[in-house]
Formats: sequence, structure tokens, C-alpha cells
Amino acid sequence: MTEFLINRGHDGPARSGTLRLKSSTTSTPALIGGTSSTDSILGIWTLGRDSRPLSVPCILALPPLSDYTDSMLELIRDDDPILLPSLPSSSTLGPDFAAALLNRQLVLLQNSGDMIEPSRVIVRIPPQVKHELLDSIVPRFDELGVRGAAFVFNGELGPNDRDSLALRSRLPRNWLTLALGRIEPYAIPVFYYLGLDLIDAGRALGAAAQGIRLWPRGYESIPHSEEIRYCSCHACSSQTNLADIDREALQTVLVAHNMGLCRTFLSESVNAAHLGQLRSLVESMTHSSPASAAFLRTVDKELYTFTEEFTNTTGSGALPLIGPESYNSPVVRRFREYVASRYVPPSYKKLILILPCSARKPYSDSKSHKLFREVTDAGLGASRFAVAETILTSPLGVIPRELERSYPASFYDLPVTGDWDAEETAIAADALSVHLAKFDKSAVVIAHVSGGYEDAVKAAESRIQQSIIYTTSGQPATSRESLESLGETLKELVDVLSLKSGRSLENKEILRATADFQFGSGSGEVLIPENASVWGKPYGMIVSRIEKEQTCAYVAASGALSLTLVGGRLVAPLERYWVRFDGRRIKGGSVFAVGVLDADPKIRPGDEVIVIGTDDEVIGVGRSEMSGIEMCEFEKGCAVSVRHKVD
Amino acid sequence: MDDFTDELHRLVVEETRSARGASIRKRPARPAIMPASAWTTETRISSETGRALSIVFSTIGCAHARDASGGCTMCSYLLDGTQRSPSSEELQQQFTNAMSKLEGAPSPVSVKLYTSGSFLDPGEVPVSARTAILEMLAADSRVREVVLESRPEYVSQEVMAELRKSLGDKEIELGIGLESSNDLIRSICINKGFSAEDFHNAIEIARSEGIGVRAYVLVKPPFLTERDALLDGIQTIRDVAAMGATTISVNPVNVQSYTLVERLWSRGEYRPPWLWTVLEILRQSSSSSGDSVRIVCDPVAAGRIRGTHNCGVCDEAVSQAIHEFSLVQDASVLEGLDCSCLSEWEHVLEHEDSSLLVHDHTLTGK
Repeated sequence: MTEFLINRGHDGPARSGTLRLKSSTTSTPALIGGTSSTDSILGIWTLGRDSRPLSVPCILALPPLSDYTDSMLELIRDDDPILLPSLPSSSTLGPDFAAALLNRQLVLLQNSGDMIEPSRVIVRIPPQVKHELLDSIVPRFDELGVRGAAFVFNGELGPNDRDSLALRSRLPRNWLTLALGRIEPYAIPVFYYLGLDLIDAGRALGAAAQGIRLWPRGYESIPHSEEIRYCSCHACSSQTNLADIDREALQTVLVAHNMGLCRTFLSESVNAAHLGQLRSLVESMTHSSPASAAFLRTVDKELYTFTEEFTNTTGSGALPLIGPESYNSPVVRRFREYVASRYVPPSYKKLILILPCSARKPYSDSKSHKLFREVTDAGLGASRFAVAETILTSPLGVIPRELERSYPASFYDLPVTGDWDAEETAIAADALSVHLAKFDKSAVVIAHVSGGYEDAVKAAESRIQQSIIYTTSGQPATSRESLESLGETLKELVDVLSLKSGRSLENKEILRATADFQFGSGSGEVLIPENASVWGKPYGMIVSRIEKEQTCAYVAASGALSLTLVGGRLVAPLERYWVRFDGRRIKGGSVFAVGVLDADPKIRPGDEVIVIGTDDEVIGVGRSEMSGIEMCEFEKGCAVSVRHKVD
Repeated sequence: MDDFTDELHRLVVEETRSARGASIRKRPARPAIMPASAWTTETRISSETGRALSIVFSTIGCAHARDASGGCTMCSYLLDGTQRSPSSEELQQQFTNAMSKLEGAPSPVSVKLYTSGSFLDPGEVPVSARTAILEMLAADSRVREVVLESRPEYVSQEVMAELRKSLGDKEIELGIGLESSNDLIRSICINKGFSAEDFHNAIEIARSEGIGVRAYVLVKPPFLTERDALLDGIQTIRDVAAMGATTISVNPVNVQSYTLVERLWSRGEYRPPWLWTVLEILRQSSSSSGDSVRIVCDPVAAGRIRGTHNCGVCDEAVSQAIHEFSLVQDASVLEGLDCSCLSEWEHVLEHEDSSLLVHDHTLTGK
């Protein structure tokens, strides 16, 4: 009996897990291909052909085109996970051939009687399999108890590898996944990020057999290399000159070096995932080769629904967004989509002030935004409440002032040069035109931006229905001239538009906008109704109460709203972010996946969720630890960390 | 076989036919009275040295390759044939034209009758032509040995008796390609179109007329890993030796035009066998098969990317050893070879089996 358990915590599709075999336990992610007893390395051997590597947990491959007699199957040790037989992949023969190969594995398993225990089985998924076929056949394996699949990669990070990944993205979320084939060490972080638990280190071993020493970038052929590079690793530094040792000794050194490199990359990936920085690591490594960069950018486009589902909606620590590979990272694209689809401006906003972003987050804490605030306050006076501030930024697009502390708006960090590339401009212009369409056509847009920001506004101009006033005349937004021009414009507009006086509604606006952002539009009005009393400071904490009963609290540090049970009951009728629990009361501080009957598929790890019991009552609120679909599919693991519950 | 194995076979047939495409119909016209080729070599005939004439008749080609079954996945020998079937007289002229190469040659001589299909298929070589050619051979006292090739379905007791009767006490060897003794491999990977039992029966019938059988063994049909190919080669040689073959000809796949193998190869999904694999098959077989059977190997395109090859450095030395072994039948000539690519081959044997990824760095340029 083999069991694969997924531990708490996500960083994108990457997860850490435990592969529990009868006599040993291996943590994932791990490498495949080892013959020595070291952590995070599994052996692999082919039945009847290789001797089993001793003293390491191993995966057993069944050879293709054999007749699996009972006497052969008896050789299967009762411990190793079993890779079912297939044939080398063939794009030439196409999807029907791949389908037959997959079906043959099912037939073999069905006909093996009790010789092959399904929980130990790993299915080989040929890259050419059609998605519909995979979707129909995987449940049949799943019913039998199969919980693992292997995908083959040729390492070119091209269409073939993306096909395998697309197939991987369709698997049940609790299956163990293997990446077999040729995987360069520098590609280990991206394969781990994309949800592969066991990664073939065959490339490292094969390179060693060819006399090739792998490096984080590129490789070196020894002893052909003109000048042998310096390496501080234990294996290399134990030799005075690699060119002088015999072939066998060289291969031993290179195996140790190359495997060491794989382990270094794996360890770095695991550490980054713990810190929530795996995506940044993967982005930083796209410069290993043009193919890696193209790979990630294309995967972002093609597999967004997959990568996004597992991407946390909350985070801490800086989020570096360095280059074009960040423009469509799931956390960035989702932010743009949430703002576009969920943010609803208050109806009393008659002015929209577009401002440039600042390096310091939240923007309000920056020097430039403090200046803007002074000028705005002075210019609008008691009519200030009528202005909607919108910060234009790359690559997040537009950020309504109310959401400036939400994740990742107050956490991202990017190289500021003032120059925007065409894609950034297009992204910002698109976001801006969608955003402004939500305001009244008679409202006035004040574009207090210059340089790349101004270009983005201009690019959106034809799609903007309001009149636009530019207030910088080519000068930086913080220049004295620009600020004066902004102040005068605002003053004039108070008269021209006959703006009324009123109280600042900033706290309520922040709460409502954040509620809409987290739970979808309309939630703000439900959770913070007209009779709510709202207290606090935007830079600290804002609490909303109805008849002295707290409903929710906004914490500036996270930019997020947390619910009380009362708040949960207000939001529940919207039927969003709900988790149906198999019971009338929650015991302990967690809801486990096994106790989840159903959950909103929109739920992402990190979301604030409402737990509903079997008698349709809200019985808890808390933070999701996994996606809503995972809660339904997983048999184990913590689904929700409960903050408040009905006793 | 289960339904899905049948499905794999059906798709292989379809693809093989598609790869063959219009190439059959576009075969160049050849003079009907000339063989496709004919050449002589020095050879051993029993215990003496003599000349061997090989004749490849220009015929309409292998019936298996021409019909709906699509032919074998690796073979385009059919393209050596002609579009119009030569008449019986024309075939006889092809024979006499070829025999002129033996003019003045002393006894003993050996004559090998090849077509790009089956010499014994009456649809390819009419019975009247066959009879006439056999008579001419019988009449030539220098001819000590006659070799011919056929698929087993044309090997009947009647035809074997006819061969024996017309050629008297000359040595006769019949070449039949079993390719692999594994039924799955022979059907799915090769599309050979007959069973191991058909082959075995043909051997029995031939032997009953004192006719020896030269069994062709294919090394690395498509869809096999390198180690599948190695193990299948060794097993097949063992099996055909046990069935009573007199000679075993080991044939590494070479990538021929208009074949399924070529389609796979051009996409990096097939690599011809390593020479190390061929060497290892011969090494292991020569020690296990005993003295009663000769094992020969003369790889086509050895050392070339379309043929069996190693790293490029050692190809010639290994090919040379294989050639030498075929002549002297002494396994010691296969020993002691070494190259830095040997460890890469060892890695490929293991890693292709577990990953099922075709390893071919020469194709991908890495």
C-alpha cells in the first residue's frame, strides 16, 4: 500500500508531500534516479532487467511489450510504486495511438487480479493523448485506487513539453505526479512550480556518462574543455585535475557533481516555496535559456486556470516583478481580473484622479502621494469625498485607492525606470478603459501622470467616454508646476461641476471595496450596510459593527478583511466562498478535507471562507488552506483554518 | 491480444501505408531485362573459397508491401522493383544477364537469388521463370550453392521438393525474415504479417528436403527502447537457433525512405541501434548458440546517422569487428573494444527503459 499525502501550504501548483511506502517514507519534491542513499532521491529500476538499487526507496518500471505472467509479477517487491508499461511516445502515430497505450495500461491493471495493488500504480500518460480522453479515463484509474501519473518531457521546453504539462494540469489534485525524461537542472524549479512532485534526474546521470559537467547555465565537456572550470563542490574539489583521472573515476565525480547541482536547485525551490517566493525564483531562472523564458510566458497564457487555482490570494514579504515574465504571472493577472470584474466605485464619485504609482508601498506612505494628498485636500476641500483616486501602475494595471493595501498591490516591487514597454502600456491602457467605464459618463478624469503613465492614458483615450484633463504638461507629476496645475484644476472643477460638500467616507469605502474584491461585487453593500458603524484608521485597522456586534475587520498590514460569524451570516446568502461541512459543529481549529462535502470552486488558498454545516447554518469562518476543488478532491489535509466557530 | 493492442497494430498499418504513400506508384521504369542489381564477392562455400553472385531481380516487389497490409515498418526494398511486372522471359533474361558476371569464374560458385520480395511468390516470379532459372543453375556444374529468399507463406512441401529435385545435390539455403520471435513486437512494431509458427513450419518443411534456412533477425524495430532491442535480438537468435535455422543473419535497422521508421526518425522519435547493441547481441549469441549455426552480420549504413551507429569515433572499429566476426565466427574478435561512448550507451539502456524517452543527441544537436 502506497500513500501520497500533500502537506499544508501552496506556492502555485507546487506542493510538498509525503510518499509513504510500506517500509519507508520519502518527502516530495524529490529527484528520481539515485542509486545511493540520500535524502530526496528515489531509485528507479526496470523489472527483470536491472537489479534493484539497494537501500533507497525505488520506483519499479514494468518493461514494455512483455507478457506479464504471474511468475513475472511475483518478482514485484511488495513495496515499490509501479510504473505501468507503455511505448516510447510518438507524435507520428498521434492521439489514437496514445489513447490505445493508455487503455492498454487500464486493461493490464484490470486483468492483473490482485497481483498489482492499484494504490502503488503510476500510469504513464503519453503526451499525445487528447484532453477529452484523459478526462474520461483518469476517473476509471482513480476508481480502481490509482493515485499517480507520469509524464514525459524531452527537455526542449517546446510544444511537446507543454503538451505534457497541459495533461498534468487536468489530473485529480491529489495524485502524485512524475516528470520523466530529460530535465535540465535549471528547469527543476519550473517543473516543481508547475506541480510535479518527482523529477527525473536522468539528464544529470546521462551527462555524467558523456563526460559532461552541468552548470546552472550551460555545461562543460571534460576533458575536451580547454580550460577546466573551478568548482567548489565536494566531488570536484576532491580531485586535483579532472583531466587526469580515468574515465570511470571521472564519471563518478561527474555523477556526484551533476546530481549535486540538481539537489541544489531542488533545495532552493523547496526553500523558495516555503517563503512564498517560488514564482520569483522561477521567473529569475527564465534567463537560463530563451526556451525557458518562452516556456514560462506560454505556460502563463495556456495554463492560467491551472496555475491560478493554486496561487495564494494573500502573502507577506516583497513580491518582485522584474521583467516581462511577471506581466501575466497568476497573481498579477488575477489582481487585474478581480479589479476589473469585482470593483464597483461608489456612485457619488464625480472626479477620477489618475496618479502614478510610487516605489514605496502602500502608495499613501510615499513622499509623492503625500504631496498629491496635500494638493488634493487643498484643491477640493470639503468636496474631497467626490474624487476617486486611481493609481496607474505596471503590471497590475489600475489600483483604486481603497485597494492599495490589498495583496499584491502593497507588496510588489519592480525596477522603476519610467520607461514602459509596449506590453506594459497595453496592459495598463486596457485596465484603465475597463475601470473608467464603471464611472458615470459625466464624471471628469484628471490624468496627473507623465511619461509612460501618460502614454498609457493616451493609449486608452479612444475607449474612455469621460472628458480627460491632463495636468502635467510634460513635467514629472511631482514637479511644482504639475502640482500647481493639479491644484488649480481641482479648484476649478469644484465650481464647474458644482461639487457638494460632505464627510470623508474613506473607511467605509475601503471596507466595501475590499469586501467586493474578496467576495465579489455586491458583497460590500451586504457586509457593510448603511446602518453599519465603521471605526478605525486605514493604516491600522478598520472595524465594522452593526448594533455593536462586529461583522468584519480590515487589517492594513495584510490589506484583507476577516469576517466574524455575524459577518459570515451576512455574506452567506450571496453563496460565495462557502465550504459545506459534513457536520453540525466544527471540532478543533481546522476543517479537514475529508469533512468537506462541497466547496465553492472559486476558493483559492488564502481566501476568507464561510463554513456551512449540515443544517445550512454558518458554523464557522476562517482562512482556506487549499483551493475549493482540492477541498472536494482531497481525502486528507487541512482545508480551512478556522478563526471563529459556533460552539 | 487485447483490443487495444489490435488498435495499436491497426494504427501502425495505417501509418506504414501512409508513409509508403505514392512511392510505389512512382517507382522509376527500369529495363525489364536487367536485374535491379547484381554483384559478385569472394565467399566461403563449404570449406573452399569461391565467387558468390548476388542477383536482385527487378520484380513488381513484395506482395506484403504492395497490398493493404502496408508491408513492414522499416522496409522500402520494394522501391528497387518496377511498376510493371516483368514477363517470365524478361526475368530469365535478367538472370542470364546477371550470370554473365560469373563468366570465366572457376568452380565453386554460389548464386544468391534475391528479389525485393519473395523469389518463391508466383505472383512476383512466375513459376515458368522460376523453373527455367533453376534448370539453368542445375546445368551449371560450377554452382555448388544456391541461396534464395521468401516469406514463409510461399514455402510449401511441393515447392521445396521442386527445388531439391531440380538442383540435385547442390547446397540450398532459404532466407526467411522472422525479424523477431516475439509475436507482439513482430506484429505491432514490424507489421510482418505472419506468426512465429508459420516461420517454424517453413523451417521444418525446408529441412525435410535438406534445405537449410537462413533466418533474418532485425535489430531494433521501431517503438522499442535500446534495451528492448538488445534483449529481443538475443532472444530471437536463441529461438531461431532452437527452431533449426542453419544461418542467422543479424540486421540492424537502417532508416529507409518512405517508411514508418523514417517518419519517426525525422521527428527524433527513433534512433537506429547503437553498434554496441549489435556487438553485444553477437557476443552473447555466439556463446549461447553453439557451433551448429552461423551468425552473420553485415550492417547497412553502419556508422551513418541512418544506420546503426555509435558516437562517430569508434564506429569504424566496431563495424570492423562485427564484419570480422561474420567471417571467422570467433567471438574473441568482439572483445576488447572500448570508447568513451560506452558508458553513455549503458546509461541509455537503463534510462530509456524507465523514461520511455528516445535518446538521440545526434539528432537534436545536444
